[in-house]
Amino acid sequence: MAVFMPIVKGLIGAAIGFAIGGGISQLITSFTKEPATEPMIVLGYVFAVIGWLMGVGMWKVWGRQWFGKSTNNDPTGGWERYLRFNIDHKVIGIQYITSLVVVFLLAGVLAILIRVELMDAGQNIFTKNTYNTTMSLHGIMMIAVAVAAVMGGFSNFVLPLIIGAEDVAFPRVNALSFWIVPPVVVLLLLSPLFGGFDTGWTAYPPLATQTPIGGLLFELAFLTFGISSILGGMNFIATIVTQRAPGMTWGRLPIFAWSVLAASVISLTATQWVAYGLLMIIFERVFNMVFFSPPGGNALLYEHVFWFYSHPAVYIMILPAFGAELEIISHFARKPLFAYRWVVRAFALIVFLSFIVWAHHLFTSGMGENLHGPFMILTELISIPTGVIFLSALGTLWRSKLRLKVPLLFALGVVFNFSIGGLTGIFLADVATDIALQDTYFVVAHFHYTIMGGEIFAIFAAGYYWFPKITGRMYNETLGRIHFGLMFLFYNITFLAMFVPGTVGMNRRVAEYPPEFEFMNLVTSIAAFALGIAFLPWMYNMLNSWIRGPKAPDNPWDAKTLEWQTSSPPPLENFDEFPTVTGDPYGYGDESVIHAKFPNSTDAISAEGD
Amino acid sequence: MANLSPINLLGTGIRSPREPTFYRALREIVLNRDTVTAAAIWVLLTIIGELSFLQIDMFGDAATKQGDFIDDAFILLMVLAIPIFTLVITMILYVVFKFRAKGDEIEDAAPTRTHTKWVGFWLAWTTILCLVVIVHPGYTGILELRATNAEEPDLTVNVTGRRWQWIYEYEGRDVSLFTKDEMLVLPNHSLIRFNVTAEDQDVIHSFWIPAFRMKIDAVPGLTTYFDVETTETGHFNDDVNFRVQCAELCGNDHSLMFTRVEVVEPAEFEQWIADQAA
Repeated sequence: MAVFMPIVKGLIGAAIGFAIGGGISQLITSFTKEPATEPMIVLGYVFAVIGWLMGVGMWKVWGRQWFGKSTNNDPTGGWERYLRFNIDHKVIGIQYITSLVVVFLLAGVLAILIRVELMDAGQNIFTKNTYNTTMSLHGIMMIAVAVAAVMGGFSNFVLPLIIGAEDVAFPRVNALSFWIVPPVVVLLLLSPLFGGFDTGWTAYPPLATQTPIGGLLFELAFLTFGISSILGGMNFIATIVTQRAPGMTWGRLPIFAWSVLAASVISLTATQWVAYGLLMIIFERVFNMVFFSPPGGNALLYEHVFWFYSHPAVYIMILPAFGAELEIISHFARKPLFAYRWVVRAFALIVFLSFIVWAHHLFTSGMGENLHGPFMILTELISIPTGVIFLSALGTLWRSKLRLKVPLLFALGVVFNFSIGGLTGIFLADVATDIALQDTYFVVAHFHYTIMGGEIFAIFAAGYYWFPKITGRMYNETLGRIHFGLMFLFYNITFLAMFVPGTVGMNRRVAEYPPEFEFMNLVTSIAAFALGIAFLPWMYNMLNSWIRGPKAPDNPWDAKTLEWQTSSPPPLENFDEFPTVTGDPYGYGDESVIHAKFPNSTDAISAEGD
Repeated sequence: MANLSPINLLGTGIRSPREPTFYRALREIVLNRDTVTAAAIWVLLTIIGELSFLQIDMFGDAATKQGDFIDDAFILLMVLAIPIFTLVITMILYVVFKFRAKGDEIEDAAPTRTHTKWVGFWLAWTTILCLVVIVHPGYTGILELRATNAEEPDLTVNVTGRRWQWIYEYEGRDVSLFTKDEMLVLPNHSLIRFNVTAEDQDVIHSFWIPAFRMKIDAVPGLTTYFDVETTETGHFNDDVNFRVQCAELCGNDHSLMFTRVEVVEPAEFEQWIADQAA
């Protein structure tokens, strides 16, 4: 039981923190005689998070130093090292991935419940309020998975390895950014017990300021998650700028590292806007300040602030997914990444454009009509750099020597799905069609095609690709293929069918709908249940292979990037001897390009497999 | 030029060092067996895709002029999107079947890193297509939806959202609808302006008539509007899209926040107004 001690201490710390914070709040509000529940929760929560962090190990690893005492930040140990404040980026990566898999599965169960409710037009298993809360919870949990699984999870594990670094630039900040995620999950799961929040994950005020306490818990959770994102983004930028191996020039940086850099810029800067927006909603609720609620406030203001983050946020999700997709395609096509420099330029352009397109979510909001044209044009321009990503993927595949392994299958799935997601995006960027399609199931199907079909498929590609490096064992190829086949098929049936009711007049976020739309909803629901089943072979494969899969070689894919040039799993310091980079990592079919040399080794990387 | 004989078109010719760059590029990247075969498959899939899409009646007739424009825009965007989608499908299928490595053997492909002309061509067509949709249906659509803004409408309806129902006032007609069960009756062949807002202590709603294809948010403290020119009669009982539906999540009864709509000929509408006012 000793392995759970840090968690137990964290929980005790949280309880003490909540008592202190809540107590202070009660003391203050007892003078003003205002209703005091929400201030108590907010202040109590702030102290509880601090107590949780200190208890779970931040005090021992970091806090003692503030008072001139010695710290103990030894990241080694058995599997108990995953259950405490640990500064090893590989441990943090695994912590992120495993926690987010749990969140993904919970949110998936909610999706199944939603589809049960929508099988027919009437009310089935939910009351209207519980439906809205369920739908909102599904939304925000999946957003959390989409933002953090690839950035917090795979970037954390892979990025320092792929650039030949020992760790990230700020290992303790890295641990902090993970350990404030559990409070987010706890708050979200508690929220239904406190009245839930029926606002959707967008949580527009004035509705958001009028929800029960469950809504406040949601705001606090989102804000906390935002802080984690900001810290993570800052850390990755610093890591890529300062920690690259000698010789790893910008032109030799693997495309995955470029994509993480691009996403981190958004993560660091845009997230701060939504954090302010959420803070202002909390202030409205707790201090009766007026920002967004009329009279006095402006409801449209929040929509602008919210989408100023939340549109760039989809690029936090999709850019690293593109990076992983292109990385995998190049290594499995045995061919250099096509138009590498153009992809980097495309990433930069997407980051730039992502900040100035947010108001395309507001074409029907009542904002000034003079804004429609500029935001439509800017939004549609994004199709050009996105087209370059497709050019690179297809150009790499052309005349390659494809090794059709599971990671590549998922990467090809990304190309297919995202083409649907991207093309349907044009309908929503166009003002005229968007006015008809906004807030319908067309939008729901579209963003599931970009985020699930694009990013989640890329996460599965990355998961299979790096599984041998992360666990040191091989997954089962046959089960992986079964998983891909089922998931690809039923995913596409589910969400292609979902476009139809949206196009013919069914709005989103409804528990009940006109019976005319019943048939396509039934098709969607049945396919969604089958999609749920598709994850079973994956779960079995991952668990079984991690426990008793065959030992993986150091470089099972004969890939040239640096993470494959160390042991599987890598040692604590990542490399026994640190590499000097001498060329780019895509020198397939070209003996003259050698990615890296290790000081005591006569083998250069390009000689691998020869 | 000399090497562009039919045999050389398939890339089997000997490259002359003095051949003009353009034709050399053309032959290298376009006129070879793989590209020609893939292009043929792409054209075939595109024809099949376009023909089957044009067979489908996606959404019936819109009941307004603005709605007709939106439907046409949707169809045009689909027609433009299909070739891109079939290109992706063709490429994926072709590379998977044609360029798959045999067995488990690992062999590197020829190291093509980039191809300036091909990249340039790709950037050119994506940019042109992007500019095309920006102009039409993008910019033309914005103009179309604003075209009547300066005109005096035949009928103005003031709409107020309140959880979870709509309240309507026919401006200058002394008729208002306060309950959920009443039918919103509108005249055909008329320019109708909806001024939309929500009550001050209320939340954001969205005023949407699917049959008209138009929606605008009802925001507390703000009055928004849209214009439609009705072109068809219709009744909620015949077509469920003749309804006002709240399209912005507004809490518990959001899904049930709708009003039935009937569009009738103007004479019938005047009669209805007179009956209501009486």
